[in-house]
Amino acid sequence: MRKPFRDTRSVCPVCLRPVKAQLCREEEAGAVFLQKSCPSHGAFSVPVWRGKVPFDQWTANAKPLGPEEGLYCPSACGICPEHGQGTCCVLLEVTRRCDLFCQYCFANGGGMAEDPPLDELKRAVDDILRQCGKPLLQLSGGEPSLRDDLPELIAYARKQGCETIQLNTNGLRLAREPEYAARLAEAGLSIVFLQFDGVSDQVYEALRGAKLYEEKMRAIENCNRVRTGVTLVPTVVRGVNDQMLGEIIRLGASLSPAVRGVHFQPVSHFGRYPVVPQDGMRITLDELIDGICRQTGLSLDVFQPSCCDHPLCGFHISALASPCCCGVKPLPVSRQGAVSTAEQNRDYIARRWQRGSSQDGEDAGPLNDPKALDMNAFLRLLRTRSFTITAMAFQDAWNLDIERLHRCSLHVYNKGMVKPFCANYLTAAQAEN
Amino acid sequence: MENLICAKCGVPLEKRRTAFQYLGYEIYEELPRCPVCGQVYLDEALVRGRMHEVETEVEDK
Repeated sequence: MRKPFRDTRSVCPVCLRPVKAQLCREEEAGAVFLQKSCPSHGAFSVPVWRGKVPFDQWTANAKPLGPEEGLYCPSACGICPEHGQGTCCVLLEVTRRCDLFCQYCFANGGGMAEDPPLDELKRAVDDILRQCGKPLLQLSGGEPSLRDDLPELIAYARKQGCETIQLNTNGLRLAREPEYAARLAEAGLSIVFLQFDGVSDQVYEALRGAKLYEEKMRAIENCNRVRTGVTLVPTVVRGVNDQMLGEIIRLGASLSPAVRGVHFQPVSHFGRYPVVPQDGMRITLDELIDGICRQTGLSLDVFQPSCCDHPLCGFHISALASPCCCGVKPLPVSRQGAVSTAEQNRDYIARRWQRGSSQDGEDAGPLNDPKALDMNAFLRLLRTRSFTITAMAFQDAWNLDIERLHRCSLHVYNKGMVKPFCANYLTAAQAEN
Repeated sequence: MENLICAKCGVPLEKRRTAFQYLGYEIYEELPRCPVCGQVYLDEALVRGRMHEVETEVEDK
C-alpha cells in the first residue's frame, strides 16, 4: 500500500507535458515512488528511494515545492527568478563528436556533426562569465579532447577569468599522447573529470564497447606527471559495476594525490540509453550509499546529503586517503544539514579536486595519522591527501522531480541560455533507440 | 612577538609547544605562553592565516 506524502511536479515521459506528481511511500519497506499521470499517456510510477537510508532524515533540508511553483518547469528553463540555487558549474559542449559509442550517453554524443568554431566558443565563455559570475567551467562533449584547439580555448577561458576549468573526458587522448596532459596543464586546465567505470576490462567492454582499463590508468599517470588532479567518474549500472564501488574507491585512494576523489553517477536514462528502464534496473541514491557502506565498511553517518543541490541529487564525504582497509578516513562532519550556496560548493570542489602546487610541499606528507602534527605539516597533509567520495544522481523523464530541479546548481550553456543539467538533457521516451 | 607580557600575571611570555584541538584533531604549534597562568597569545596573522586555512580545509562545504 503506497501512501502519498509530498506534492511535486514532473513531466510525462512520453510527451514531456508538465504534470502534477506525488511522492508515495511504501510504509513497510520505507521505499518511495514518484507517481504521476498524463491525460494522453496514462499513469507512471518510478522508484526514487528503496528505504536503505531513512528518507525523511536524508531530505530534512529540502523545501517542498509551493502550489504556484514549478508550473512552467522544465519547458521554460533557463534559470529564472524562481530557481532556488545559483550556478556552481557550467557545462559547455565543445563538440558532438566522440571516439567511443557508449551504451549510455547523456549527450548522445557521436556522429559527424561539425564542431562549433573556436570564436563561437570564446563568445560562449564570455557570455557564461557575464551571466553566471565565475563558475567552475566544465568542458564537455562528445569527447572534448577531439578538438585540437582545446588548449587554446582553455587558455582563453583562464585569461577571461575562469579560475577553475574541468575537462569531462574519456581519457583516451590523455593516455595515448603523453605530452597532451602537459599542453592542457600549461593552458590552465585545473581538473580532469575522468570517465572511469571500474577496475576491469569487462566493465569497459560492457559500457563503452572496448577494453579501456589500461588506458584509463595511463591517463591518470600522465595527468599525475603534470600535477593535474583527476576525479574518477563511474557511471554505476546494475549488474555491471555496482559490486565494484569499494574497489574503485580503494584504487582511487591508493593513487592519491594524483586522484582526488571518486564521483559516482548512478545511470540515468536520457540522451542515449539501451532500453526503457524497468524499476529493477534503477540504482537509487540510497542503494548507492548502501552499496558503498557494504563494500568499504564506511558507516552511514559519514555520508552528507548534497547541501547545495537537492539532497536527493547527491552526497559527499570529505576524507583523507589513508592506509586503512577501505582506503579513506572520513573527516569529521562539521555542518550537518546546512544549505550551502553555489559559491561555497564551487570553492569546495575547486579546493579538493585540484592538486596543490609543488611549492606547497605537497608530496612531503606521509600517509600517517594526522593527529600528532604541527600546523604546517597538518595543512600539507590535508591538502595532499584530501579525497572526496561524491555522487550525483541525474534525473530522466521518468523520475524528474521539479522540486529537485529547482535546486540544481549544475547548469548547461546552450545557445545563449543557461539551463539546469537535467532539464537540458531531458529526453522523451519516443526518442529511444 | 618579542617582549610580550601577560596582562594577568605581568610576566614575559615564553615560546612553548601548544596543542590545539579542532574537530577531533590535535595540532601543535610553538606559541608565546604565560609560564604562570598558561594563557596563550595568538597573533592576528596566525588566526587569519594558517588557523583559518586549517578550518577551511577540515570543515565541510
